Amino acid sequence: MTRTAAPSTQPPEPEGPRQVSKFEFALLRVLRFLVGHFPADQGLQLVRQAATRPECLSPGAVDLVKDTLAKASVLFLAKAGGWRNDKYLRDNQPLPGRVWDRIPLDECTLEFSRPVLDFLLWLTAEKVQETKLAWDAAPKALTPADELFFALAFDQTRADPDVTAVLRRKDAFARNPLCWLLAPGDLVDPDAAKVTVPSFETHCTGQRAVILECLQTFLTTRWIRSERAKGQIGDWKKMRQLGNAEFAALQAFLKACEAARRTDLARFVLRTNAAILQSDMTPIFWTGGLQGSGPPRLADRLDTQRSALAVPRQMEILEAWNDRARMVGYFDEDYQSSQLWKLDWEAANGERVSERARAALEMLEPLRGPATPTGNAGGANASAADSSS
Amino acid sequence: MSRAYRITVKESETRHLKAGDEICTDIEILEILPPEDMATLLREELKKRGFDEQDDGTLVRKDGEITVKVDPCTGEVSVKAETEATVNQEAKREASGYNDVGPNEKALRERTKEQLKQDLDKKFDNEQSKLQNKATEALEKHLQELQPEISEVVNQVTRDALKQKAQQMGTIKEISEDAESGSLTIKVEV
Repeated sequence: MTRTAAPSTQPPEPEGPRQVSKFEFALLRVLRFLVGHFPADQGLQLVRQAATRPECLSPGAVDLVKDTLAKASVLFLAKAGGWRNDKYLRDNQPLPGRVWDRIPLDECTLEFSRPVLDFLLWLTAEKVQETKLAWDAAPKALTPADELFFALAFDQTRADPDVTAVLRRKDAFARNPLCWLLAPGDLVDPDAAKVTVPSFETHCTGQRAVILECLQTFLTTRWIRSERAKGQIGDWKKMRQLGNAEFAALQAFLKACEAARRTDLARFVLRTNAAILQSDMTPIFWTGGLQGSGPPRLADRLDTQRSALAVPRQMEILEAWNDRARMVGYFDEDYQSSQLWKLDWEAANGERVSERARAALEMLEPLRGPATPTGNAGGANASAADSSS
Repeated sequence: MSRAYRITVKESETRHLKAGDEICTDIEILEILPPEDMATLLREELKKRGFDEQDDGTLVRKDGEITVKVDPCTGEVSVKAETEATVNQEAKREASGYNDVGPNEKALRERTKEQLKQDLDKKFDNEQSKLQNKATEALEKHLQELQPEISEVVNQVTRDALKQKAQQMGTIKEISEDAESGSLTIKVEV
């Protein structure tokens, strides 16, 4: 549909503003809202309203849609972290620079396809919360740019629970890995027994990986905010759903990163933990807002509390990565990538963060604690073996 | 002339109610010896404390309504509380009607029966909830008692493992244990 790279010959710009119909004007405002360039309250109002859909869009409106998508997506990625002079792995070698320095232009050209425009038409024409027209997009047909757009759209509409409830049932969002990294808690169906997370394999290679590189800072900020907000959650069921969704999403993501040897893409998980665990924490930080005594079963209460600490629980995997990185020798294939991970680990004070995460998690476990000294059996908590020759 | 009548429906039901609660956690065993040797030490220590070995290799001890199950290979512990009771509940409902207006007697009786059934279900739900609370309270109480015992088991296994490790390193010259501080000193000649 549209490519963000500048075409060789630009059509001449018309003089003055382009003429669009009322529907097209609404569609363009919805689009600008979805990419974060239009006030959310007004945008959501447009999403909740219905409008008569025309047979087709005028060429001028299509051009404006293309232009908005091209500029807004690139601007978002650059602002989200693409501008940073960072190091990321490319062919298993760390490559420094800003995203446009690291990646050749033809590899970071964003291509949007038909489902994006169909979604915009549907969103503008229908009252989303009462829609009768079933719109959806097959996840396999989506390009990396489409996935980014749908993730941004889902993120923008999260403020409205009715709209979120409709969108989360659609494959374009429910099976979009980026949505799961941005807002896992909002993608879970409250009535679903099990959390089903899409595969992150495709997001550790090619253009999708480049998008993730750009999103590292954005994701870190987002997850830190989410972790800090957990202390305000009073509903046990909500906390459990959020925690289970986060845990499932992060586990699947870290597994994919490890398989693709792209541990650098999991920096945001490490940095989020480092920002949260700056001092010794107790589980109260996460669970302190829970109201009342909770579910009657102890098993459910414990599960909710464990779920709340879904992010610190990932430190176990990151620590294992670090242990493995330390074993990689100078002549090994993964030496450079291991060195990069060790740098990240040290910068985040990984050892200390990992200890703090472990301590917070242990506080939740019911059978951990000191033994009461009894008779001659004693409570040996520390033992030592001295050897003399 | 309309005549008023009153229907009284009474019903009693007996149900067998079951409630349970279970937590799963793991105990932290230091890898002083190879995992299989640590598992053997844990198994022996648990057997001394009344645990029975099952066909699948796990060790189980039943304390009344509480079942404690330990997998010595993984260190996974599950503590389960189960209660059951046979409960009898009675409910009674009255309804008034007129023979010429409103629903007929059969319909009124059906409706009252339906309401009675709902009353009974509510009573059984209350009983179920009480039984659940009882199971959870029993589990919580038992966990408090079990926690020091499990810690003792872990410490004992650690001590035994250290002694075995010291034996592997050389000749043990002296072992001193301080029950107060919990320290264990082993002098080995290598």
